Amino acid sequence: MTLSSLSAVFGEPMAWRYFAWLLEGFAVTVVLSAATCASASLLGAVLCSLKASKHRVLALPVRTMISALRNTPLLVQLFFWYFGISAFLPSAVMQWLNTPHTLDLHIVSLSFPGFEAIAAFFALTLYAGSYIAEELQAGINQVDKRQEETARALGFNRFQCFRLIILPQAIIFAWMPITGQYLNTIKNTSLAMAIGVAELSYASRQVETETFLTFQAFGVATVLYIVAVCLTEAAASRLHSKRMMRTSLPATAGSGT
Amino acid sequence: MNKFFAATLMVLASFGSAHADRLDDIKKAGVLKVAAFDANPPFGYVDAASKQIVGLDVDYAKILAEKLGVKLEIKPTNPANRIPLLVSGSVDLVLANFTITEERAKQVDFSIPYFASGQQFLAKKGTLSSPDQLNTLRIGADKGTVNEIVLRRDFPKATIVSYDDTPFAFTALRNGNVQAITQDGPKLIGLLANVPDKENYEIPAFSISNDYIGVGIPKGEARLKDLVDKTLLELEDNGTAAKIYDAWFGPKTTQPLARIFKIGDKI
Repeated sequence: MTLSSLSAVFGEPMAWRYFAWLLEGFAVTVVLSAATCASASLLGAVLCSLKASKHRVLALPVRTMISALRNTPLLVQLFFWYFGISAFLPSAVMQWLNTPHTLDLHIVSLSFPGFEAIAAFFALTLYAGSYIAEELQAGINQVDKRQEETARALGFNRFQCFRLIILPQAIIFAWMPITGQYLNTIKNTSLAMAIGVAELSYASRQVETETFLTFQAFGVATVLYIVAVCLTEAAASRLHSKRMMRTSLPATAGSGT
Repeated sequence: MNKFFAATLMVLASFGSAHADRLDDIKKAGVLKVAAFDANPPFGYVDAASKQIVGLDVDYAKILAEKLGVKLEIKPTNPANRIPLLVSGSVDLVLANFTITEERAKQVDFSIPYFASGQQFLAKKGTLSSPDQLNTLRIGADKGTVNEIVLRRDFPKATIVSYDDTPFAFTALRNGNVQAITQDGPKLIGLLANVPDKENYEIPAFSISNDYIGVGIPKGEARLKDLVDKTLLELEDNGTAAKIYDAWFGPKTTQPLARIFKIGDKI
């Protein structure tokens, strides 16, 4: 197929400048997703252990929070953190958040992200974190209870038992569902365009507005999302099989659900 | 299809009035037929009390008829019919918030502009007074609008945050997420009219791009166009244009908007 017949089917090729816009948007998507996945994993582990706590004062609020976060639309949560909370913050804080801050490190200068990105990061972390907490819980439930009893009998305290015996196995059991949450996070960042985060979907819409090249703009964005999701999935399953080899768990562990 | 229709009408019209001069025809008939909007306040709309079409455009039409010494006949139109009505000879002039564009100027002539609707800004009082400041501010825009494109093109250093619609952008302004929002002046005025604490906001008296509104005139009617242009300039000189503006956008109206554009600013 020649180039001219290609453009007859798909329309004009897009100018490089617009590719650059899309790539900038993609960079924001990647950074936001990575930061969210990292902090959501930590949050998930913390929430999961608090939820399992014997003290009801700790467990009950955490359970309520997880259930609220899992059962409301993410878009509403984004609006809540961006529009809702900012109405209550003191105006001095809002002003600081909304003025650009740059940290000059001689070699590179780091710029503090805008309030849109912070609100999106916060909302996405809470949302993904509460799902990951539940996935981890499910993983823990799959570990045989007798292992805990044996460990305690051998002199491990509760924390050691959890960290050294239960958690490593629970992570393996929960790994694939957690990967699913990472992939969801990548896709969910697109909702952040509603609060003005200039990520990939926002950029594709901007390119579409300016060029009217609808198919090309959204087509390129789709391909970039697929690339991000596929690479993440491949990396996650590679990591999983490495872990599996280091343990003596049956080969089927963790591949379920 | 519309273009084809208009072109056909143009051919038909040229048979009928190949040599006649429209200005003489109007005077002979004693009637000036003008197309105006009937549902686009404050430019042209049906007044609830009098059941007559009134508005800023109609005020100008009345004065043009007076100048010609003939009666005025208003014909209601919608945006799509404006060019066909003119080309077919059904009306003599169009005064219906008719934005001057190159594309339209191929089919009809335009007078000099008598109104401009520009891209303006809404900000908290005291934050914005001139376009130079835009490059240092965070500005909210509506996603997918020409406003967003113009702002990005002409003020590349401004931080633009685009929202799904104007109410969202306005909420962001209220919360302090952005320092100003941008839209067409008349739209911002409409938005501000419904805000409970409107005394805290202002629309600074400058615009960064303009849509110019002119009188639509049949193609090639030089004498008619000349008369319309001269009349419009006179109205600016003797203060009538300012009075008409004030009647619809002045401080005593529900939607006051500072008058930035004067007739003759752009020919």
